[in-house]
This record gives sequence, C-alpha cells and structure tokens, in this order.
Amino acid sequence: MRTAVEIRELSYRYPQNGRLALDQLSFSVAEDECIGLLGPNGAGKSTLLLHLNGLLPERFRATPNVWIAGEPVGPKNLEPVRQRVGLLFQDPDDQLISATVFEDVAFGPRQLGVQGAILNSLVEQCLAQVGLSGFGDRQAHRLSHGEKRRVCLAGVLACKPSVLVLDEPTSDLDPRGRREFKALLQTLPGAKIIATHDLELVADLCSRVVILDEGKLVAEGPTVKLLSNEELMLAHGLEKPHSLLHRHPHGPAA
Amino acid sequence: MAFRNTSARAKLLAALLIVTFTVLLPRRPDVLYLIPATVLVLLWPLCRMPLVYAVRRLFVAEFFILGIAFLALVAPASTPIFLSTLLKSNLCVFTMLLLTWTTPFQDVLQELRRLRFPPVMLTTLALMYRYLPVLAEESRRMSRARASRTFSRRRFAAWQNLSLIIGQLFVRSADRAERIYLAMCARGWK
Repeated sequence: MRTAVEIRELSYRYPQNGRLALDQLSFSVAEDECIGLLGPNGAGKSTLLLHLNGLLPERFRATPNVWIAGEPVGPKNLEPVRQRVGLLFQDPDDQLISATVFEDVAFGPRQLGVQGAILNSLVEQCLAQVGLSGFGDRQAHRLSHGEKRRVCLAGVLACKPSVLVLDEPTSDLDPRGRREFKALLQTLPGAKIIATHDLELVADLCSRVVILDEGKLVAEGPTVKLLSNEELMLAHGLEKPHSLLHRHPHGPAA
Repeated sequence: MAFRNTSARAKLLAALLIVTFTVLLPRRPDVLYLIPATVLVLLWPLCRMPLVYAVRRLFVAEFFILGIAFLALVAPASTPIFLSTLLKSNLCVFTMLLLTWTTPFQDVLQELRRLRFPPVMLTTLALMYRYLPVLAEESRRMSRARASRTFSRRRFAAWQNLSLIIGQLFVRSADRAERIYLAMCARGWK
C-alpha cells in the first residue's frame, strides 16, 4: 500500500518562547489507513497537524521533513498540498468564516477555480455527504455546534482531499452528535489522522495509534494493543477506554 | 413590507447618495440639514422600522459619535463644528439603519461586490458580520464567569471587571484571528 503521509525527524520550536514543541518525530500513514494521534494536553498534537498542511513552520528548512503522497511539503507546493490535505480545526467557529453555509462550503473550491453550476452541485453533494442537504441558505451563526462541525467537514471535503486531518473532531459534541459524527467519518475514504482525547472513537475507527508526549513519539502500534496497556496509558495522561475494559473474553484478541 | 422587494442596488445607491449629500453639507448647523432629515423622516414609516430598534442602535453609535464630536470642541470657536458633526453622524447612521433594516447584509455585500468595491474591504466586512455574534457570545460567557466569582457590589469592582473583560476580549480576538487565518490558508486562501 502506498504512503499517504510521511514524517521524518520533524522538530519544531515555538518562536515566541523557544520551547521545543516537536522533537525528532518520524512515522508514516498509508493510503486508506486511519490512525489516532494521542497524548496529553500540550503534547504537540495540534502543532504536528499544522505541519501536515504546510501552515507550519513559518520558515521552511532546506531539507523537508513532511511528505504528502511522496511530495515534500515546501514553499513551492503549498497549494497542491493544502488541496490534498483537508484539515478540520478544533473550534468550528474558527473554520466557518462565511455568513451562510453555501458560501462557506464553496470557499475552498472557489480558491481552486470551481465556479457556476459545477460549484453549486459540488456544494450540494458535500452537504448531502455530511447529512445536511438543503442547509445551503442557513446562517452560519444560527447552527448548532454539531451542525457547524459538519459544515466545516463539508467545506474540507469540497476540496477533494486524499488525506483528512481532524483535530479533536468530537470535542463539545453530545453523545448522539458524537455517534453520528463517528458514523460519518467511517463512510469517508482516504487516509485519516485523528488527534483526539476520545479514546472510544480511536478504538472504533483507528487501526493504529501514535502517542505523543512533550513533543516526542513515545509509542506507536496497533490500537487495541496500545490502548490495552494501562501502564503506558496512565504514564502519558491517558486511560484505557471503557470498551476495552469490558471486552468480551471470547471477542477479538487484544 | 415596503422596500423589502426593491432591488438591493437601488437601496444601496440611495443610501450612499443620502450619506454623501449629508457629509458634504456645511460644517455648521444649517437649514440644508432639513433636506436629508425630511427624506429620512418620510422614508421611516414606509420602511416600518420599529422605534425601539432605531433608538437602541443609535444609542450604541452615540458613544462613538460623541467621542469624535467632542474632539472638535478642543479647537477655538468650534461649537458649530461640534453640532454639525453630531447632526451629520446621526443622519448617516440613521440612513444605514434604514438600509440594513430593509436589506439583508448578504445582498448589500453582493451589490458592493458588483460595484467593484475593493475585495479586501468586502472580506473584512463579511468576516466582521460573521464574527460579531461569536465575539458577543464570548464576551457574555466571560462576563458570566466573572460575575460568578465577583463578591463585591462596589461600582469600582464592576468597572474593573468590565475593563478586564474588554482587555481579554481583545487578546482572545487576536488569537482567534490568527486561527481563522490559518483555517483560511488550509483551504487554499492566498
């Protein structure tokens, strides 16, 4: 299977305070693979995600550290990289910039030169994909939190990315919203990287997890194996998810 | 409602005409001020804008208007300028209130785009319209959280709290602006 995302020896220091946010990170994600990015608050998860879209670092080094579909991320190919990597931000209000749902979903494709009837049908198709058909004329600030998140996802999908990068996609959602959003994510093709504290989501969706702590990669491996390791989980501000605590003895092996 | 179905372009151009005419009036109270005032008074009942709606919004704008008008008082023999600034500003704000009451903001923006207004200005206006409710909600949350930990009824404490909230709102808005910019870039904004 081909590699969708490759990260090699990626380090990053915050320019404001000089603190090391990412320390020599290396791992890769295959096409159609879904991985969970775990770690305590301040571990560097969100900072890492911004690197995948070329939003960080502020100044690119001569040797690249991130490759998307085999292409190094650098100042010369930011546009294609941003089209290939769809980034869903943690706070939907940061991402939902237009007054109406239609305008917001159309924002990305317009940057790519899509217009007219093709744009209209693309927006409607993406809204249908996230279960919001007919929401085009709705005012963005009148939507519920869950709806805002779905609109943001539709806006990302409208750019037809091959890699989906999701930052805390289920935070602030009620249990039903979380369940529906999880089901929605399951239907989406392509590679997915999910940074989250929602371990149940990871246990259900991700085949592999990467655990970060203080900017370092501390563990990487199959989801059930790592999440079942209570000692490892507790050492890095996490805990074994309920679904694994109560797993049936004759169910899938840990 | 009257004027709801009139084209947005006609309403926008009429509003701009009234504003331009008002701004160009002499810098002293003059009988000419009666012209835009009469036009607005005649249009008001046709637009069916509620009095409370207009008064509330004028009240908010009044602080800014007075702030600018008072600056004129610093100069010698400035009372006519002070009064004309008050008159002009209130007439212009009232014109805009009538426009926004009868025309959805999206339509105003669309017309401005068709009239080839600078895109940066239109993006700024669109973002402002989108994020005003977000900022209002954020300030409400902060003020509630402050109030829950405020145990003094002294007026000074209330003012102090308000200043802290305004300061915090500025800092948070700057942070949010940074995140919004990143989110726009992530979707191909150049």
